[in-house]
Amino acid sequence: MFLLYCLSILWLAYSRQATPRGSFLLPASSIDTFLACSVMIVLVLSAMVGTSKLMTPYIRGLSNRDDPERLQQLASHILLNTGTPSNWGETQEVTPSSLGLAKADSFLPYELDIDKVSRLNSENAYALTYRELWESLGIQDVAFQIEIGTLFELSIEATSNQTQGADTVYEFEVTTKKSGMPIPANLSSYVVVENFVNNVTSSTSSNGVGSFSINVPNSVNGTTLLLVFARAQANPRMVSFNVYAFGHNSATPSPNRTFLSLSPLNYVLNVSITYSSTEILKAQVFTFNYNFSLTEKAQGNQTVEYNIPRLLDSSPMILVLTGLNGSSSFAEWVSYPQLPLQIGSDFSQSIAGAKIVSQTTIVTINFALYEVVTKWGGPT
Amino acid sequence: MLDNRGQTRIIEAFLAIAVVFSALIISAVTFPSSPTLTKQKSLASLGIQALIELDINGTLGKLVAQENWTAIKQSLDVVLPIGVSFNLTIYDENLIQLNSQVIQNTNLLGRETVSVQYFCATQSQNIQFFTLRMQLAWTR
Repeated sequence: MFLLYCLSILWLAYSRQATPRGSFLLPASSIDTFLACSVMIVLVLSAMVGTSKLMTPYIRGLSNRDDPERLQQLASHILLNTGTPSNWGETQEVTPSSLGLAKADSFLPYELDIDKVSRLNSENAYALTYRELWESLGIQDVAFQIEIGTLFELSIEATSNQTQGADTVYEFEVTTKKSGMPIPANLSSYVVVENFVNNVTSSTSSNGVGSFSINVPNSVNGTTLLLVFARAQANPRMVSFNVYAFGHNSATPSPNRTFLSLSPLNYVLNVSITYSSTEILKAQVFTFNYNFSLTEKAQGNQTVEYNIPRLLDSSPMILVLTGLNGSSSFAEWVSYPQLPLQIGSDFSQSIAGAKIVSQTTIVTINFALYEVVTKWGGPT
Repeated sequence: MLDNRGQTRIIEAFLAIAVVFSALIISAVTFPSSPTLTKQKSLASLGIQALIELDINGTLGKLVAQENWTAIKQSLDVVLPIGVSFNLTIYDENLIQLNSQVIQNTNLLGRETVSVQYFCATQSQNIQFFTLRMQLAWTR
């Protein structure tokens, strides 16, 4: 551009000398004006560039208020910091003054606290509300959603059942997939009804499908739970689980949480009994490799507490309580960490054009790997 | 008929327009980074975080030492989101490629990739060091 300007001056100067009649195309005053203009243009350009350079940080600050990088940093902040107090997950009454889900005193990055995670689940009696979380995050101009679940899905389907002597043999088909992609896995399955427990191991093949059969004696009846843990063959820390409820010699079972409200926290299972006629028969914990009976810690009016053992198995724990309500037996369960969960804003209702940033992170909870998806949105 | 003064005014007008447009262009050039760059940064972060998580307790180093390329590929299939393509190359201390088979889910040819590098070691008495270079791209 400046070159163009210089060329035009040269052209004018050449025209002044080249005229055949000896008269000038441009008077001397015009040349002076051009020189003055050139100085002015250089000044104006310098001023504009200078102003642009000076203003850039401020403009960037304003335009980046909701940019993806900032929102991704917020997601990392929640997963890498313990929050305040650092052990806020363990204590029922404590609401964090700053939000963070990382485990205190952990040497691993992205290791989350089992209790902080469980308190995000609305089914836990000591769960935090979204408003409490949002206030403890301390950033007014963003909304967020947190989803935590296993790395891959496990689905269970009952294929057949038949009576063989004193037992009924149930056959199940299990599928282990991630977004449709098969995941070969080893399976550990437990069937629980009243005081009876049976365990079988099997696996899913390269197409992610496996099957097994399991015997249940006909001397027991009522709601029966089939707990299935799947461990990816590629990496033993990738674990998924699912629970399938069915009636054994009885009617279709009632939905989970009908008779009991189960809230694990700080390695204590807090049980709230819904009906006074309910009697608990047995409380047990199951992981991929182990199962134990839980010891009672305390009993109150319609409440019971059980100690949960600190197991080193890289697997979620499933806590199962069996009992009687009148003459019919029931079985109810909860996982620890209490997953899957979703808390926060519902971005599916967001208006078109709203900025939403989603970040997927792999985290460790009690030696097993899980997937955390955080979604962030700011004002448009 | 155009007189000399008229020609000068026209040239001045063109120059003024050029000055204004050049100022706009300069301002545009100095503006913040593009969204594509942020997306690539996020992909790089995803890749390095996946490798870190897989290497907890030395699992990744152990799999490399065992030359279990299938297990490494399957692990990455699980930890990376379904919309991410990857290609992993593993080198020893002398930067000689170790993986005898390709560790990738889909071909990255023609895609805008981001590359991350991670170092790991075996947790045994005879320690071996490995360099892992992973290229990642979003599946369009």
